[in-house]
Amino acid sequence: MSSPSAGPSCCHADDLAGSASGMERELAHELTLLRRKLTVASVLTALVMLSSLPHMLGVHALPFLPGWFTSPWTQLVLSAPVLLWCGREFFTGAWAAFRQHSADMNTLVAAGTGIAWLTSLVATLAPQLLTNEGLPADVYYETAVVILTLVLLGSLMEARARGQTSEAIRRLLQLQPPTARVLRDGAVQEIPVALVVVGDLVQVRPGEKLPVDGVVEEGNSWVEESMLTGEPTPVEKGPGDAVIGASMNRSGSFSFRVSRVGTGTVLAQIVELVRQAQSSRTRVQRLADQVVGWFVPAVIALAIAAFVVWFLVSGNPVLAMLFLVSVLVIACPCALGLATPTSIMVASGKGAENGLIFRSAEALETAGGLRTIVLDKTGTLTRGQPAVTDFECLPAGRLPAQALLAAVAALEERSEHPLAEAIVAFSRPQLQDPQLPAVEGFEAVAGRGVKGRTGGMNVLVGTPRWLSELGLEITALEPLAARLEGSACSVAAVAVDGRIEACFGIADPLKPSAVAAVAALRRLGIEVVMLSGDARRTAEVVASQVGIERVIAEVRPADKAAVIRRLQEQGEGPVAMVGDGINDAPALAAADVGLAMGTGTDVAIAASDITLISGNLAGVPAAIELSRHTMANIRQNLVFAFAYNVAGLPIAAGLLFPLTGWLLSPMIAGGAMAFSSVSVVSNALRLRRFRPTPLAAS
Amino acid sequence: MTSFVAAAAALTSGEPLWRTIEQPLVLRLAVTAAGLALIAAELWWFLARHGEAVAAREGERGLQEITITVDGGYSPARVRLIAGRPVRLTFHRLDPSGCVAKVIVPDFRRSLDLPLNARTSLELPAMEPGEYPFHCGMAMVRGVLEVV
Repeated sequence: MSSPSAGPSCCHADDLAGSASGMERELAHELTLLRRKLTVASVLTALVMLSSLPHMLGVHALPFLPGWFTSPWTQLVLSAPVLLWCGREFFTGAWAAFRQHSADMNTLVAAGTGIAWLTSLVATLAPQLLTNEGLPADVYYETAVVILTLVLLGSLMEARARGQTSEAIRRLLQLQPPTARVLRDGAVQEIPVALVVVGDLVQVRPGEKLPVDGVVEEGNSWVEESMLTGEPTPVEKGPGDAVIGASMNRSGSFSFRVSRVGTGTVLAQIVELVRQAQSSRTRVQRLADQVVGWFVPAVIALAIAAFVVWFLVSGNPVLAMLFLVSVLVIACPCALGLATPTSIMVASGKGAENGLIFRSAEALETAGGLRTIVLDKTGTLTRGQPAVTDFECLPAGRLPAQALLAAVAALEERSEHPLAEAIVAFSRPQLQDPQLPAVEGFEAVAGRGVKGRTGGMNVLVGTPRWLSELGLEITALEPLAARLEGSACSVAAVAVDGRIEACFGIADPLKPSAVAAVAALRRLGIEVVMLSGDARRTAEVVASQVGIERVIAEVRPADKAAVIRRLQEQGEGPVAMVGDGINDAPALAAADVGLAMGTGTDVAIAASDITLISGNLAGVPAAIELSRHTMANIRQNLVFAFAYNVAGLPIAAGLLFPLTGWLLSPMIAGGAMAFSSVSVVSNALRLRRFRPTPLAAS
Repeated sequence: MTSFVAAAAALTSGEPLWRTIEQPLVLRLAVTAAGLALIAAELWWFLARHGEAVAAREGERGLQEITITVDGGYSPARVRLIAGRPVRLTFHRLDPSGCVAKVIVPDFRRSLDLPLNARTSLELPAMEPGEYPFHCGMAMVRGVLEVV
């Protein structure tokens, strides 16, 4: 199914900050009201408890309490506001849900406390109804108000914790400064960010935050992008370099031309991706969701059954009522419902803080169970900026170097392949005549090379394997190719009119983090495989430099996805592919988890499940660690929530009484319920302390 | 704590934990029957499917539109849509409970914050026939888009 990320929608990313602050105000209002209600409820509940002290102790009167204070009428008056005002939302909420044929926590709380209170009301107004049956006209006002107060306390703590789970998005949104200094009508004006348009020239002073994305026009500076990319070291920026909004300018001043505003900026895209991840479901959660759907109706059924059984056993309707109330108020569907989403919320926010953008909860879930990681060589392990290190004409060659370089440059200029760019960059400055010869019949063969006619010659530039496949004699080339490949160079051979004339050795330096990241992955117990389009020898040399034993070389771009599928079929467990978001898109999509390396200034995410914004390989082990922590956290939450309900319900129903003599007071049941959802949310918040293990110095 | 204290008191004094009352058989049968009937009624009320899906109306540009009131639940909770056409869902939240402050459509990875007493819209692309659930932040309150 398609998942529109930038589709039209209202109340979407355009007013990201607006809607967030609206919800914050609502949460703040909710917290204030809850606090006020809790205060009133606590005072009244303390008084009701004091009033019912003689009854609890099983005595008729206590010397320090006047008779009127311990009367049921006093308790009725004191408890009424707790139910009618402090706990009003539970009752209105339960009624609204009931009309919609749905039942939730409100239903359980309202039914439990309402029944206890109404029974007491009957005992107060018409005690003879009970005494005629030989039952004491006991009241349970304190039970009702204690439960409501505890649940209110639970709601308050939960609302507070819930606010903290979305902290990460709030912090991201706050990164954008409110105003920008823009050159308009020949003068610098400070205007709100919302009014900045593409093409504006923005001025940035030392220590200022960049308001939007753009390209530097004038000036030089160091810019800190850590808040978006997780990269701690500042990046040098000069004319022509891309800069991103929300990054921090250090010492220099510069001006930049705005290229993206509003929802187009990297910051807005990150926020949107994190939101999307937080709105998706994990597989484990679907199970919890199914349970939650019938949970409350099942609890109500169990409560009624407990009433009937205890009535049959004891003949005592008041005792049976207490069991009914205990069962209703101990059940906590919220703990089940909250178990996964809270952890996912915190974890995806934590990821964003470290420059790891998870596209869905499922990506977060799968990454922890990865067994095999396939790393693309070029651009992932290496910088992706290849440069020619050797150019050699074969001894048997007929053409002069100048003519060869001119012909090769003319051909390669038409190709967009990074190796072609490297060859052009090498050849051009060496040509005496800057005018390149014309090219006819140009053709680029993916992963192999280019061919065409230029200067009256048929010229081929490509891998020795391709030339050999075309039937060319490459024996003379082999010793040279072997030497170059042995020093981790890719070899591009040049053939003119069917004869090999020369060859280029092209090297792509390793990323500084490559060795340590591969070691970290292996420490995590993951098999690391390198995938490369290069010749086997070249690929093997690079692999041994970074500590990878398994190499799949000479794979053309179109076959990368097939390699991933083959690994999956071989039962290598879930397979991840790490590559760039564009060329490797099919392989990223084929993998169980596709990780795309960003460039720091663009969120190239098309097919990826996880984007490493900075392109730093350290993000790969960090993403796996975060995923493992998150899944452990979710499992703890679910086990706790299920165990709590599975253990609590039978105890509350009095099932253990015949065996152990355990009876559970409804008040204790209410307290247990309130704190079970609080503990789930608090456990999820522990993920905020996650720090990826730093890579060992390479 | 009443029952704990009473139970402890009863155990130490050697009295029975509760007062057992001999109830007439008729009453015991009646309570049992009433209890079972109540369980059946309650399960039917909450779990059985109630009412048919409400069809979205035709809006401009082939957009299907429907307003869903959020008050204790989603009304309508079942929305019937025609396959192959985009839809705009407008949520009108009247319920102050924090639980329904967010609605999630997991199949589209979309979530929407719903300010209280306001209408908030969400557009979804054309869908293939099938059922697409939506629910609140904790998945307690649920609805479903029935695409035919």
